[in-house]
Amino acid sequence: MAVILSIAGIALYLLLRQEVTAEMKEQLELQADMVTDQVAQRKAVNFPLTTITEVSADFPPNKHWGDTLIYDRLQHEKEGYYYLTLVKKVNHRNYQITVMTSYIGWERYYKTIFISFLGVALWMAFFGVLINYYSNRKIWRPFFLNLENLKQFSVRSAQPLEWHDSTITEFKELQYSLKDLTERSRREYLALREFTENASHEIQTPLGIIQSKLDRMSQLEVSEEMARYIVQAKSGVERLSKMNRNLLLLAKLDNQVYSEKQLIRVDEQLQQHLEQMEELFSVRNNVLITTLKPVTVKSDKYLCDILLSNLLSNALRYTPSLGEIAIFLSEQQLIISNPGSALDFPSEHLFERFTKNASHPQGTGLGLAIVYQICLLNGWTIAHTYQIGVHYFSIDFN
Amino acid sequence: MKLLLIEDEPLLMDEMEVYLTEQGYRCEKAMSFAAGEDKIALYEYDVVILDITLPGGNGLTLLQMLKKQHSEAGVLIVSAKDSLNDKLIGLNLGADDYITKPFHLEELNARVNALVRRKSFKGNAQIIVDDLVIDPVAKTVFYKDTLVNFTKKEYELLLYFIVNKNRVVSKQSIAEHLWGDHYDMADNFDTVYVHTMNLRRKIAAHTGIDYIKTVYGMGYKFTSV
Repeated sequence: MAVILSIAGIALYLLLRQEVTAEMKEQLELQADMVTDQVAQRKAVNFPLTTITEVSADFPPNKHWGDTLIYDRLQHEKEGYYYLTLVKKVNHRNYQITVMTSYIGWERYYKTIFISFLGVALWMAFFGVLINYYSNRKIWRPFFLNLENLKQFSVRSAQPLEWHDSTITEFKELQYSLKDLTERSRREYLALREFTENASHEIQTPLGIIQSKLDRMSQLEVSEEMARYIVQAKSGVERLSKMNRNLLLLAKLDNQVYSEKQLIRVDEQLQQHLEQMEELFSVRNNVLITTLKPVTVKSDKYLCDILLSNLLSNALRYTPSLGEIAIFLSEQQLIISNPGSALDFPSEHLFERFTKNASHPQGTGLGLAIVYQICLLNGWTIAHTYQIGVHYFSIDFN
Repeated sequence: MKLLLIEDEPLLMDEMEVYLTEQGYRCEKAMSFAAGEDKIALYEYDVVILDITLPGGNGLTLLQMLKKQHSEAGVLIVSAKDSLNDKLIGLNLGADDYITKPFHLEELNARVNALVRRKSFKGNAQIIVDDLVIDPVAKTVFYKDTLVNFTKKEYELLLYFIVNKNRVVSKQSIAEHLWGDHYDMADNFDTVYVHTMNLRRKIAAHTGIDYIKTVYGMGYKFTSV
């Protein structure tokens, strides 16, 4: 549009210039003619801006156009004038007649045209934008509302999405496909969640049966050999049940079922666990060194509880007898350190599911994976380092 | 004491019924939502053991019915769902306790026992084994008027043994009872051993009787004279 306007402006300028020049020439010629008439009648010539000089007869008759600057007394500046000089024979005498007229300076034409076109351009742009804006808003509104909706969409939300209708066919089609897509994913998600829960339920019940039957067998008079088998079977059931529960918890963490957070005093919760576990540590002659500051964090209470108990059971399991476990809690971080043998796998696998030390196959290999997921959910970072025979687990709360 | 067991799994129901009957409770069974509904409407019970997932309905609905009838029965929810949410809903609806499957029968029995003591005797019942007298409110143990000093865990362990008298109690069961099932207890059977030995020694020192027997690798058994 700017290009069109510029071209139109320049064309207008040139056209005007041509017209005005032609008009001025006509006027000057007329004036010169009238002056010549007056001279011929021997009258005193009193046209403004006209000079008549008698010249020698040698001057050939000619006609000359030109520009000149003349000082304007009133405006105190020089203004551009257009003049016509004629050498003409009147009554057998040679006269040089100069007539002139001012023109409004070309640069002023230029400026005027430029400014008015700029004005037009600005107004057009302004109204164009305004009209565009309002019409777009009307047309695109349902689209953007739906887009916003979609950004907020989670398969976990309890209600299906509400869609805003549009009159545009393409948008309608888009809306129908999105509606279909979101509803299908919600349905599938719900089915999956239900399946996970049901599977867990269905597994726990037979496990309960096996466990109770093994307990029943323990009540009978059995040989020592049989007793050993029963104990082994029981420990298998125990592990399976624990694993099942941990997997269910991980599935729930993945599905972000625990999205409610509350303020929790970590130090108090930690203290409770330590009291509960006191004998477990003391039987192994482990020494606990605790430095706990009162610290409040935001987390689901149940999850924070699991995080702490998993970390502490981990320390308990891998600390050799007489080992020294240090627990340090500040507003920024929680560090739990315990001596122990080096990992027999790369440490970056430590927080992955089913990673365990060959020396302790009875663990589920899920405890630290759960810790990792809980940290992720709460926006905390967990790191593990091993220095001079000591494992350090540190959680950064920020 | 009259108990109502509402559980749809026959094999589990069988175990619960046998053991709780052995403990001297009169047990009635309901294997479905409808059967449970009928029994609740017709009879009074001291304790109702309630499975949440039942054919024909949700156990929590039965709990609401019980509460609507202003039933005095203590309610123990048994659920396969180890979810805090279910637990809170159950307890909010007026259940007295919540236990997750799979559980040890000794644990179930201990919970029922505690519930009965709380409900029927307002906690005032003393538990007497020979010359040992246990006061569950003060959590003290006397032998012929002499106070026997136990640690908190030893006391809980003794009570667990006495409630499950004459039964082989596994180390798993003891570990979970004393420390909960948060920690991986498989490594901690040494601790169970140490506590049981301490308890045994203390009782023997006062009474001269060794009540607790070791049963191979399987666990321990408390037998009164």
